[in-house]
Parts: sequence; structure tokens; C-alpha cells
Amino acid sequence: MSRIDEITRYIVAEFAPDIRADELDADYDLLDNGVVDSLGLLRLIGWLGERYDLPVDDIDLAPEQFRSVRAVDAFVESALVKGPAL
Amino acid sequence: MGDHLSGLIDSHAKGTAVSFNGADVSYRELRALVADALRVLDGLPAGRPVALHVRKSPESVALVLACWAQRRPFLLPPADLGTDARAALYRQAGCGHVLHADLTTVDTGEPADEVPELDGVGPMLTTSGSTGLPKVVPLPHDGIDRFTDWAAGAFGITGGSVVFNYAPLNFDLCLLDIWTTLRRGGHVVLADQERAVDARYLLRAFTHARVEVVQAVPLFYRRLLEVADGPFPDVRELVHTGDAMPPALLARLPEFFPNARLRNVYGCTETNDSLIHDSDPTSADPVPIGRPIDGVQVRLDGGELLVRTPFQAGRYLDTAIADKWVEVDGETWLRTGDLVRQDADGVFHLDGRADYQVKVRGVRTNVQQVEQALQSHAEVADVVVLAVPDDEAGYRLHAVVRAVDGTRPNSLTLRSHCARLLPRTAVPSSLELTADEFPRTTTGKVDRKKLLAERV
Repeated sequence: MSRIDEITRYIVAEFAPDIRADELDADYDLLDNGVVDSLGLLRLIGWLGERYDLPVDDIDLAPEQFRSVRAVDAFVESALVKGPAL
Repeated sequence: MGDHLSGLIDSHAKGTAVSFNGADVSYRELRALVADALRVLDGLPAGRPVALHVRKSPESVALVLACWAQRRPFLLPPADLGTDARAALYRQAGCGHVLHADLTTVDTGEPADEVPELDGVGPMLTTSGSTGLPKVVPLPHDGIDRFTDWAAGAFGITGGSVVFNYAPLNFDLCLLDIWTTLRRGGHVVLADQERAVDARYLLRAFTHARVEVVQAVPLFYRRLLEVADGPFPDVRELVHTGDAMPPALLARLPEFFPNARLRNVYGCTETNDSLIHDSDPTSADPVPIGRPIDGVQVRLDGGELLVRTPFQAGRYLDTAIADKWVEVDGETWLRTGDLVRQDADGVFHLDGRADYQVKVRGVRTNVQQVEQALQSHAEVADVVVLAVPDDEAGYRLHAVVRAVDGTRPNSLTLRSHCARLLPRTAVPSSLELTADEFPRTTTGKVDRKKLLAERV
């Protein structure tokens, strides 16, 4: 399963359990539509940190980075490229 | 420049005016930002109201000051209000242009001959309505002048005072922590409204300068205490407002704020601060809303609190909405919708709401408005929105939806629909599709209590 599919599945399971993963478009605006609210965002970030071993406590996070599944995937990509925190 | 800003920024103020995300903006720099904004506003039709589509930042603070300096009425809706609702408010307020914090402008196309009567009006804030749209609250300049005079005295805000601002820019709370502070030459530390529940961010922002005065909803204090390891001895005035302060959280405040006077302020957008109470952290009872502040009158009608303040708007922009403003003996009072009782000492206590309003993350939200928004979707046959008590948010909204036969709307399409019509706090946290008829009371109304009990 690709990373983008995995992120989609997590978001659907956590925040929109009534839909199937293939119904959530990668560009759907998760923030403006209230799928992920500000408290949900903290949960999502916690999961990303654990799942992909990202040093989320040391990264300056902006909500914009989590606006859609595609944006989340890009965030993970760039955090992985930067490597683990020392 | 100095003349434009007289009364809005203390003319002798020096040093830092605004801090935001680790950066300091001096009074000199703030004046320059205001000058930039004034150049753009000067290019727009004089006196015509504008709408500001901004989130909180030093630039958006300067933009508000520039509108103020021109005595130009300006609409400040929630930054996350849906596009359709936003457009309807622009029309209602007669706004010719929308301005963003980067000073780009967009022509709304609204005709210039349909501007409402706005004499003496400065900011137009919004509050939750029961029918579809938020209600526009036009605040008069003279009421704001009276408010900032009161607030500066009550909380000791003078030149150099460091004041923390948590509320989003469109909240009336900013009249105290941002606008009073700048008028008196103080230093306001802004919290980024986008990161309002990020505890580590909040601690960084709060400790950026030696904050003396802080006003925030209980959620802020809960978050801050999760990560703070030391006391904040510089804080001398702590205001909690906007939502009920849990006694267990209040009890922990003296340890972190050993030198602070703790007060509960009760008010609403229409009247601004109305009652105040010295909170007792040793009491396990719900915190009272206290007594009227200077110049405020109160009365009770069937248990509902009515207030009349020196700061009040006195009307909604849409004067057809008259249910909350009432005339009593030739004077205008606001029906707050809050049920209260007065104890033997004259202190008022909150007992609940007379209507369908709840606070979601400190934002007054009318569940019927959310129901109407959902009901307007073609595939929704019937809907009930429940306010579910929540430790973090105060309340969260849960929608129970019966679909039109043969359709299967999903939560994403319904969310998108809500998001176009409502502020983000009013978009339900969760949506549930059901095929069952809703339970009814003996009088035929939907039995909300039963629905709620089945889901808590």
C-alpha cells in the first residue's frame, strides 16, 4: 500500500468512518470542511510522528501542511528527507 | 500620520507594540504598516464600508487601525466563514471591496447605492444567528471609546503594559487585549489563531515577553498548564471568559499565577463586557458571573438576563432581527438568552440557556442554524444537531441525518455543504446517517434529550 493510501485510510477511519477510503479525494480540503479540527490535527500529527518516525516535536508545524491528504503526504516526504532529529 | 492615529495608538508610545510568532513590531514599524494600509484605503470610495478577510497578524492589526483612522466602517467576519455566507454579509453591510492582510483588494460588485445607515459605526463584528446567516453587530465608535477607558482602568493597562491576546481578531475580546493596549501604549503579544490548541506553541508565545495581563477562554489555560513547568509571577491580571471555567482547572491557577487577580468576565458581542466576578479558586462550585460592571444595568425577565451597557451596539445591522433587542421604558436592552439567578449577596449565577445556543471552542453557536444549513441540502430529509458536552471544546456538535429516500449523502458532501454556509466551529465534528425516525416527545417535538442520551 502506498503512503498516500495509508494516510487516506487513517484519516477516513479516524475522522470520516461513514465513507470508504476511495471516496476521499486526495485534494479534499480537510480543514475548511471540518473533517480535521484543531484538536484532530494534534491527533493526526501524533500518528504521523509514530507511524513514520518523524521528530514532530522538533518541527515547526503549520496547519496548511495538513490541508489535504496530498499535503500531508508531501509533509511526510519533506520531513523524511530532512532526516531524523539529532 | 500622527493625527490619523490620535486616539488609536498612544502618541508617545515607544518600543514594541505587537509581538507575533517570535517577531517584535515596534510602534514606529506599526505606524508604517498603517501608512501602507491607508494608501490602499485612500484609493477606495471614501466612507464606503469595506470587508476585511484576514487572520490575526501585525499586518491585519494595522489594517484595522487604518480603517479606524479613516472612520470607515469595516466588516470583520470570522476568517473561516464559508464563502456563501461571506458574500451574503458583504451584501448586507454594503461592502464595496474586500481587503486582505497583504493589502490586495477585491471588488465585491455590490452596488454603491445599497449601503446601510452606518453613522458613527466602526467595526462590524458577527455573532451566531438562529436563521442561516451570522448576525452583523455594528459597534459605535463612542461605545468603544467608553469600553477602552473602562478596560484600561479595570486591568491597569498603561504604557509598557504587556498584554496577551488569545482570541481571534474578529472577537469582541480583542477590544480589551489588542485595541485598549495599543491606545494606551502597551505591548500586545498575539497568539496565532491557527495554532490556538497547540500547547507547546502557546507556551512559547506566552513566554515571549513578560506578560502582565491575560484574557482567554478556559481552553487556553488548560493547554498552557499541560506544558508549563514554572509559575508566571509577572501576571497580575488573569481574565477567564467566554465559557464556563471548570472549578478543577481554576483551582490550579494560583500555583502557576501566584500574583494574579483571577476574574471571570461575562459579556457578549452585542454589549461587550457586562458582569465581572473575582473567581474563588478554593470553591468547587460553578464560577458565578458576578455583578454588573460600572455603568451596566441588568434586569431579569422570567429568569432570563437582560443587560444594557455603555458599550452596546443597540441593534443588529439587519433591523428585521429584533427578537433580542427590546425596548423597556424607552431604553434598549439586550435579551442575553442566559438564564440566571441572583444570590443573597447580589451575585449572579448562570443556570443555562433559554435557547439552542452552545459554546463550541468559545464560539457561540446556534444548533438550529446548523440544522437549517444541513436541511438545505437536497439529499437531507431531516436532521437534528446535538450539542455533546466535551472536556476540550466545551461542546462538540454531532449531526444525526435522515437521508431522502434513494439517496446516500456521505459526511464529506454534507461537510462541504456546511462549510460553505457556516463558520468552521459550526461544522459538526461528527455526522451520523440513520434510517430511523427521530424519537418524539408527547408534544410532537424531536426528543433531543433521548437522542443525546443514546449517544453520550
